[in-house]
Order: sequence, then C-alpha cells, then structure tokens
Amino acid sequence: MAYPYRHDKETRVLSECFGDPAARTVAGWKAVGGYGGIARALEIGREATIEDVKASGLRGRGGAGFPTGLKWSFMPKTAARPHYLLCNADESEPGTFKDREIIRWTPHQLIEGCLVGSYAIGASHCYIYLRGEFFETTNVLARALEEAYAEGLVGSDILGSGVDIDITLHVGAGAYICGEETGLMSSLEGRRGEPRIKPPFPAAVGAFGMPSTINNVETLAAAAHIARHGGEWYRQWGTERSPGTKLFCVSGHVNKPGNYEFPLGFPLMELIEDVCGGIPAGNALKAVIPGGSSVPIMDAADCRGCTLCYEGVEAAGSMLGCASVIVMDETSDIVKQVRRMAHFYAHESCGQCTPCREGTTWATRILQRIEDGRGTEDDLDTLVQISEQMTGTTICVLSDSLAMPIISSIEKFREDYLALIRRGERVGAA
Amino acid sequence: MSEVRFRNPGWAGNTGEFDLNEADVRGTGYVGERALDGGHPSVSPSLPYMFVKKDPDAPLFEGPYRERFDKIRSRYPTARAALLPALNLAQELRGHISPETMDEVAGLLGLSDAYVRGVATFYTMYNKRPVGRFLIQVCTNISCNLCGADEVLAAFLEHTGTELGQTSSDGNFTVVEAECLAACGFPTCVQINSRYFEDVSADDVPAVLDRLKRELNRSF
Repeated sequence: MAYPYRHDKETRVLSECFGDPAARTVAGWKAVGGYGGIARALEIGREATIEDVKASGLRGRGGAGFPTGLKWSFMPKTAARPHYLLCNADESEPGTFKDREIIRWTPHQLIEGCLVGSYAIGASHCYIYLRGEFFETTNVLARALEEAYAEGLVGSDILGSGVDIDITLHVGAGAYICGEETGLMSSLEGRRGEPRIKPPFPAAVGAFGMPSTINNVETLAAAAHIARHGGEWYRQWGTERSPGTKLFCVSGHVNKPGNYEFPLGFPLMELIEDVCGGIPAGNALKAVIPGGSSVPIMDAADCRGCTLCYEGVEAAGSMLGCASVIVMDETSDIVKQVRRMAHFYAHESCGQCTPCREGTTWATRILQRIEDGRGTEDDLDTLVQISEQMTGTTICVLSDSLAMPIISSIEKFREDYLALIRRGERVGAA
Repeated sequence: MSEVRFRNPGWAGNTGEFDLNEADVRGTGYVGERALDGGHPSVSPSLPYMFVKKDPDAPLFEGPYRERFDKIRSRYPTARAALLPALNLAQELRGHISPETMDEVAGLLGLSDAYVRGVATFYTMYNKRPVGRFLIQVCTNISCNLCGADEVLAAFLEHTGTELGQTSSDGNFTVVEAECLAACGFPTCVQINSRYFEDVSADDVPAVLDRLKRELNRSF
C-alpha cells in the first residue's frame, strides 16, 4: 500500500519504509540493511564515527541547522562522568509532522540512530523525550525497543562489543517549550520546562549536571545511515552547505499534503505545484511559511526561484527551520493566522523572561483587536516595536519565533491589516 | 451513517475506518497486548491507557502500578526525574491530578508539595480537574486552521452540546482546543483520549461521536 502520498522524484533514504509495517520489527529493519550503521560504528570506533558525521556535513534537523558532527565533538573525550544523549522527539512546532512518522513507521531507525549517537559521544544512557500526546507513537517505539533489548541490540554488551548503551523512553506532558534543548533537559530532570542560560552549554553541563548532547529524531535517523555508508556517501545529495536529504512536511492549501523526502536544494515551487499536486481549486498562492511557524512568512514573489536548503531559504528572506512548508492560498486570512500563532506562543511561553511573557500576550491582544475591526494604524507600529523588543532579549528564542512572523506579515501583507483597520474588511476566509 | 476513511493509515489503520474498540483506545490494537506492569523497564515511564476506567480514589501505587513506579525510579539518576512519569501514572489511574494527588506524589518522591504543584501546573496534559470520559482535543493551530479546524471545533461543541472546556451533563464529553498535534499534513487532527483522528472534517463529526457512543455502550 502506498504511503499516503508518494512522488517519483523523491529520494527516499529516511522514508523508504514509510507505510510498510514489516519495517517495525528487528527482522524487517535488518532486511533493509538496518543495524548495519551501529555495527560499522563499533568497528571503526568513536572518533572515526564522529569524523564520518562531520564529513557528511549533516546539519541538525530540529530547526537550528547546527552541524551534528561538530556538536558531537564538543563532548569531553574522557568518561570521568556519565554522558547522556537526549533525543528530542517532542515534535510540536506548528507545521511539523516528520518525527512522528519516522518513529511510528521505522522505530528501529531511531533506535539505531540513538545507538550510533550514544556510542560516538561516549554515552551509556540515552533518553528519548517523546511528547505526551504521542501515545500510539510511544507504543510502537516501546515495542520496538523491547524487541531490540531482547535481541541484544540495546542494553549491556551490545552486539558483543563490550559497549553498554541503555535507552529509556521519557514521556512528556504537553509543553512546546520542552522542545527547546535546555527546556527539554529541565523537563527530563522533573522540573518545569524552563530553558536555561547558555553557557554553560549542554556538552559541559547538561542533563543531571553531566555532559549531554541533544539531537532531533531526524538527525539521529540520518546519522544511522551515515554510520552505515560513510560521510562522503551522504554528500551525493544536497548542496555544499546543506548536504543530504530532508523530509519536507507540506501542509495547508495543497492537494496532496504529506511528508516528502528530497535532497536539500529542491525548488519550492516544484514541491508545491508538481509534487503536492498544486493548490486546491486552482487558487493562487498567497504566502508560504517554509520552516514551521517560527520563521518569517514569504509572499508569492519570494517563493519564485527559492530553493529549499538552508542558504536558499535564507536568500529568500526566511529560514528553512525544520522544513515544514505551510502553504497559504489567496483565500487565507493572514491577520487571523498570525493572531492564531501569537495565541500559541502566548500559551506556550514559559514565563521566565518578561519580554516573552508580556510581549506574546500583548501582541495577541493587539492582533485580536485588529481582527475584530477595532484596531488603529498605530497598532501596527506598536506590534513592530514590541516584536523588536522581543528579539534577542530572552533566554531562548521562543519570543523571537513570534516576532518574526509578526514583523514579516506586517511588512508583506500590510494591505490585509489596513483593510481590517480602515474599512473593517476581512481579506480571505480561511 | 457513512464511514469515515483514514488517509494516513497507521498500525491500526487496516480497517481503514474510525472503528474503535477497547483494544484500539488502550493501544493494544497498535502494539499487541501489553502487560499492565508496563513491560520492559526501559518503557516503564507511563503509557497512558486513557480508556481504562478511572478511580479518583485509587491508591498511589499498588500492585502492577507499584511495579511500574519502581521501574520508573530505576531508570533515572535522581528521584526528581521520576516526577513527570509518576504524575502520568497517577493520572492514568485517577483521571485527573487534584492538589491532593500532587501532594501524595510529592510524598512518594521526597519532594515538597509546593514544588510538585509548581511542576504539575506547568504542563497542560495534567488535567487539574475531572474531564469527561472522552477528552476531545481539536487542533486549531495554523495548518489545521487553514483547512477548517474552527468549523470542526464548532461541530464538536454543537453535537456534544457543550461549551468549550466544559463537560457534558452525562459526563461523557469534554471538548477543548489543542495546540499543534504534529499531524499537520492530515488536517484536522483531533486527539480523543490517547487516539489521534486525522482528516476530520466538520461533516465527519457526527460519525466520530457515534463511534464513541457505541464504544461507551460496550465498556461501561
């Protein structure tokens, strides 16, 4: 059975087994070469594994795009204290739905990635932080993990190598901020999920005060393949600065939304018009949010010629983030959607930093006022001013994440705001 | 009543329908029968079997739940780290986390009552007050919103006869708005207890509720 939607142009590395329940078992995963990555890593050693990942140019898939091999190399080389690998499966960036699909279709892909990562950084315990809503996902992963333990792939003396790596599933309880790496550590330790000031960086003082590395699900899944095939193999796809393949989560106004895997650098318009079957009812494209709700909004002109790699989206005035492409057609009500996003950030702000706690709340109220037809033109200046004060002034980037869509939407869709403010006219219905 | 089709079939999607039975909602339909003690210690952190009957006065913790609690403790270097899984476990048993439950969990882990209240109130998945047998969480964030989530939410409120966040008079349904559930490609996503319903349109809502009601008749 075809996974919801497939496309001939896809390059499927991570998503090859999506839609195939057989790959959820150890035998099924081994049949497609699975667990070859950890076997090869154990053979070539820690340093060589990190070098492989460095050579691959793999960049963190959780949104920041930090080079993974470099991150791993920050970990102390001696094991005087316990090291921890934390896998971030707290997927909750609006527009993003790739980690859930990776885990529920290929749980062993993630387990193997966790083993490779743990081995490379010298961790004997890996915690997978799953968001609390992922009941089915957690159950699928739990069964896979039990089987992996039974097969001697996880636990003590994995694959007869003398290396011990334990994996524990940690289920969260509903907080977007726990997807921020230091917020995740706080939450794992049984605290409120409040982010911490860096430095110290997690590689020095992380979970439980010990050296820790936090990687996204997709990053670790890719690392499993890189460990199996080597770093150069991964560079056959993508661009110089953005090597490899990436899952693109396309949602919103397209005929065939879903996860599609392409080499980085794939043209945005081709993704929307060809791969996803275009926009329903032949409507015109109005805007795209290319990397999850936390990045600047692009208008239709920005989209033309934009390629989906870190540098390509940057050149178009936004950020690739976690490649969650939210497509909005001409019927979209930008003001309403920005207000909805603001509401989300106000709800999810942990409240530690004043610019974020107050800024997200007041921005939501002002946007609501504009949406209700009670706004003034001064409100737009106030929103921009608040947003600027929310940028770079807090411990984590949650408040920046709201500032970017607000500033970019006012810049690019000022007419939509003005139509509401001056004439009480709503532009778009959705 | 017309059948509602799945477009994103998962473990239990072979039926291709929103056809719930107890095994589905307890998760056994996805992953095989699981031991009540949680199975292997690595997965001891609570798996919220949301549809088991709740008892607000259930003891913390006895029998298989005590086993799971002990396993949870064994997976972390500190007692504090077991707090979230322990609260998950308490909610699984009792259905919601009352201030008294928070204090009891604090006692079990050697933490102060105030500390546990601070943590428990930080997280949205801990129900601070009782909810209906079915907690219906409709995602209204951007991707679902673009595809009509507001209408889906309105339909759930209309057909359950409830106000947002209130429980229906028969104690069956509580409808709330949820933030992004990470199923943006399959809008609108609705989480009902521990189960995701994807591709739900406003027209599907009566069929979904009908299924839930039949499930109630089977189990209660």
